[in-house]
Amino acid sequence: MTFLNSSRTHRVPVTLAALAVLFTAACGTGADTGAPAALQTTQAATPPDDQLDTDATVNVRLTLEPTSLDTFGTSGAALDQLLLDNVYQGLVSIDTDAGDKIVPALASSWEQSPDGLAYTFHLVPNAKFHDGSPLTAADAVWSLQQQIAPGSKSIKAAGFTSIADVSAPDPATVRIAVKQRDTLLLWNLTQRGGIVYRQGTDFAGLGGAENGSGPFTLAQWNRGSSITLARNDSYRGVKPKVAKVIFTYIKDANSANNAQVTGQTDIQVQADPTLLQPFTGNDKFTVLRGTTTDKFTLAFNGTRAPFTNPDVRHAIRQAIDRQGAIDAYGSGVAIGSNVPPQDPWYEDLTGIDSYNPDNARKLLATAGFANGLPLTLDVPNIYPTAITDLLVSDLKKVGITLTVRQVEFQTWLSKVYTNKDFQLSLVDHAEARDLDNYTKPGYYFGYDNAQVQQWYTQARTAASDADRDVLLKNVARQISQDAAADWLFLVQSTTVLRHGVYGVPQAETSNRYNLSALAVGKQR
Amino acid sequence: MTAYVVRRIGLLVLSLAVASVVVFALLRLLPGDVATTIAGTQASPAQIAAIRADLGLDRSLPAQYLSWIGGVLRGDFGHSQLNGTTVSAELNRKLQVTLPLAAGAMVVALALAIPLGTWAATRRRTVAGGALNALSQLGIAIPSLWLALLLVWLFAVQLSWLPAQGFPVDGWDRRGAAIRSLVLPWLALGLTEGAVLLRFVRSAVLGVLDSDFLRTARATGLTRSQALLRHGFRNAAVPVVSILGLQSAALLVGAVVIEQVFTLPGVGSMLVTDIGNRDLVKVQGEMLILVGAVLMLGCTVDIAHRIIDPRIGSTV
Amino acid sequence: MRRAARRWRTLRTVASAVVRRPTGAFGVAVAAVLVLAAVVSVWWTPFDPQATDVRAAWLLPFQRGHLLGTDRVGHDQFSQLLAGSRETLFAATGSASIAAVLGIALGVTAVLSPRPVGAVVVQAIDLVIAFPGLLLAMVLAAVYGGSLATVVAAVGISAGVGVARVSRAEIARILSQDYVLAARAAGASTGRIVRKHLLPNIAPTLIVQLSLVMALAVLAEATLTYLGYGSSPSTPSWGGLLHTQQDYIRVRPLLVIWPGLAVALTVLGFNLLGDALRDATDPRLRSGVRS
Repeated sequence: MTFLNSSRTHRVPVTLAALAVLFTAACGTGADTGAPAALQTTQAATPPDDQLDTDATVNVRLTLEPTSLDTFGTSGAALDQLLLDNVYQGLVSIDTDAGDKIVPALASSWEQSPDGLAYTFHLVPNAKFHDGSPLTAADAVWSLQQQIAPGSKSIKAAGFTSIADVSAPDPATVRIAVKQRDTLLLWNLTQRGGIVYRQGTDFAGLGGAENGSGPFTLAQWNRGSSITLARNDSYRGVKPKVAKVIFTYIKDANSANNAQVTGQTDIQVQADPTLLQPFTGNDKFTVLRGTTTDKFTLAFNGTRAPFTNPDVRHAIRQAIDRQGAIDAYGSGVAIGSNVPPQDPWYEDLTGIDSYNPDNARKLLATAGFANGLPLTLDVPNIYPTAITDLLVSDLKKVGITLTVRQVEFQTWLSKVYTNKDFQLSLVDHAEARDLDNYTKPGYYFGYDNAQVQQWYTQARTAASDADRDVLLKNVARQISQDAAADWLFLVQSTTVLRHGVYGVPQAETSNRYNLSALAVGKQR
Repeated sequence: MTAYVVRRIGLLVLSLAVASVVVFALLRLLPGDVATTIAGTQASPAQIAAIRADLGLDRSLPAQYLSWIGGVLRGDFGHSQLNGTTVSAELNRKLQVTLPLAAGAMVVALALAIPLGTWAATRRRTVAGGALNALSQLGIAIPSLWLALLLVWLFAVQLSWLPAQGFPVDGWDRRGAAIRSLVLPWLALGLTEGAVLLRFVRSAVLGVLDSDFLRTARATGLTRSQALLRHGFRNAAVPVVSILGLQSAALLVGAVVIEQVFTLPGVGSMLVTDIGNRDLVKVQGEMLILVGAVLMLGCTVDIAHRIIDPRIGSTV
Repeated sequence: MRRAARRWRTLRTVASAVVRRPTGAFGVAVAAVLVLAAVVSVWWTPFDPQATDVRAAWLLPFQRGHLLGTDRVGHDQFSQLLAGSRETLFAATGSASIAAVLGIALGVTAVLSPRPVGAVVVQAIDLVIAFPGLLLAMVLAAVYGGSLATVVAAVGISAGVGVARVSRAEIARILSQDYVLAARAAGASTGRIVRKHLLPNIAPTLIVQLSLVMALAVLAEATLTYLGYGSSPSTPSWGGLLHTQQDYIRVRPLLVIWPGLAVALTVLGFNLLGDALRDATDPRLRSGVRS
């Protein structure tokens, strides 16, 4: 009777697709965990170069191992985290620690024509691929053509539909012509779809044979445990200050803590905010907090009763004590809509549908549910149960009996996301700048507001970033006023580093992890 | 005898064939497929359809089954549709954690069960024997995962002697660290398994103690211990060995649970990850090998039994 | 009428034989406490087991009226344990029911069917026993979401096959008794034979097996829920408590102790009950063959 032969799902993340989950296995509030405010949020300044150990190897703990290294056709934030900026580069990049400012990468500068329909990028001199071949405008043009080709297998192809033509007037210049203004094009170029591959790269053969142009090369992949990046000594720009970075994939939070305490890792990315006791009140470690793009989203099936009734949606939003959820999760920021504070069109919308259980009860009574309302919530099994525990309790207080169905992520994808067979769903929407989900009536929560769709289209083709930001603010406010979903909170990233390690990325660490400033002090 | 062996092996082959169909069919009940794992949420339906076609997922289920089983018959158990690793290589790597875990636990269990079980049998009417019996009942009742947590609390949290969880990233290259991280899993699994075996050993030895030949042996002037040592153990070993065959399969399965408690990168976590990714070609290869191993173990035990003790009647 | 009276007498003899042994009495007591806790918790628990209060998190036992303290979200642990006993009891009885029905059905099929069919059933039983119930539970949980039904189905099926294997010989023996053969020859239906002749005679061995199945089901429910294939996280359960509290074993080890202790005592109770029942129903033992 081989029965007790199972394995735990909770701790084992489904290596997911674009919804990169922050995998902190558990969560709770800490009588013993130390108040978050007491934690340091800034790291020590990097000392001058002569005090750095440039032969150092840095061990970094990450949670999710990529399933493959095919950046072109395989989704997953784990790939972005590992390879963007470090191994692969695009024409432009973003600085996650400076509010996602768009910064030069392979292009040292760029300009846009006054009508907004043409972009010109000037490549940095001496750029080279890891195999030693020179990187020219022809490679950039070829790479973008793979994105816009009909039937492209690129998972990022949807971001480049506005492009009419890509050309290389000379080996150091790339020109992109667009059909209409596209205020999001530059952003999309900073993401994975903007990677410049060597002309003729066989994407099916990617996965170990990475040939990027970044400051690190992919040295080794120990499947199931670690990936090693090594300094690219022929890098054109400022060379990395460390010789090697070993990314160790440890899913479990307690195991990761153990590895950090015993010195097996130097940096612990995505630490569990409720399990920081070993590192607080301790001068050997610094705990960094940063913003993310991870929005824990409670979605309503807007096409189905009772959620077609706005009163029910508002009632549910007002029944939820979001600060309680943040306390239980260990850290987080209330946002009030689908925009994190680092986006230029952010504004504080937490006043809309703020916590008010009495009013929630009234709204439910108006909607005809004075005698209670049973609802079912589908949630992937990778998130801490503390959040659903709170939802059950909060909703019970206003007369909603919530049944939580914990499912595998793939089951969620199939049942909720594709077949729209659900009432309530809770998922961490981790993509950056994903307001467009609220402009697609076919999206799983089925939110459909013509005004919002129009604003978004106008924003995409706006004449200036300022115009765009005004329109997107309208979108963010309207979806919140319509209670298209409830945004419980924005996750905060938590990083633990040992003293003597400098230049550690702090924000949006699950989307990209730029190692160019990483440094280690000399042992004395 | 030969006829029996031939029949038993024929049955094994038949069982393997049925198992392959069952594994294949069961996995096809799962919602979602590997194409959505690859493409993620942003891909268009057309892109997902293209991936399915590339991977051959658009073929009929019988066609997929036949192409898989054809490979298996040629010794190719398939490979991951996500990253191309072969089933045999991956299983081999994960068994480097799971097999030592199960084997070590078996050693702990036997080291506990054989002496204590014998002792309990010879002292069955004493208070100590009764206490040991009660203790073994408790050992069977305690969930191994809970025992694991208690061991973690005592030896890892309170005493800091051993790591609470995890396995060294470098695996067996750091032998000391690898062994240290397996000590608590060995104990957790071995103690509960030992409690089960103890009862079998005890009743086997009791059976021998009451037997005529032992009485005869004692009549020739041997003490009870001498009689037991010279004649008893070999006879008591027969039922214990056959139980061991069954229990080693159960132990492999128990190891999978304990792996999860200690977050060891073994077969259990591999299966969960692969099922989560819907990397079904890989899962079905791995499952077939594991189920096949259990079936073969059963077959070997049956045949061995027949050889040791030809009196056993045919059940085939 | 007389037969019913005789059966009642046998039952009383068995029951008193069970209760007279300390182990049997313990088993009965555990079963009684489990049933009592499950029933009472439907109407009353000291606190609402699902109510959270982050301002009352991590309380120690007896603080603010929480008998066993609270966890990270302020769940009262004692109320959770009480409510969790419902899942345990349901898992035990549900699995045992499925196992009994399936086991008898398979056993009867194997015995009564014509030889090739019967042989196939026997081989199928052996095959299913070699097949990990884990995969069944995982697939069921993936398709339908983890739930108590998943656990009951997976344990019930696995255990039912085991019951069939163990009882097959006994079923064959009973069904080949002269009076059964006579009844069949007289045209009695299979259902009637099972009801009138098989069940009353197999009950003693079956009930022993079922109490062991219950022990297995309690263990499996806790383990599967701990692994994430069992009861929904919004429903209090012992396995769920073990899972949630494991991460905080450094902060509050006691929170891991209670649910594990509950599981261990219940499993022990059902196992001892099974042993006592076996001793009480084994005619060899009843007549005092073993000293």
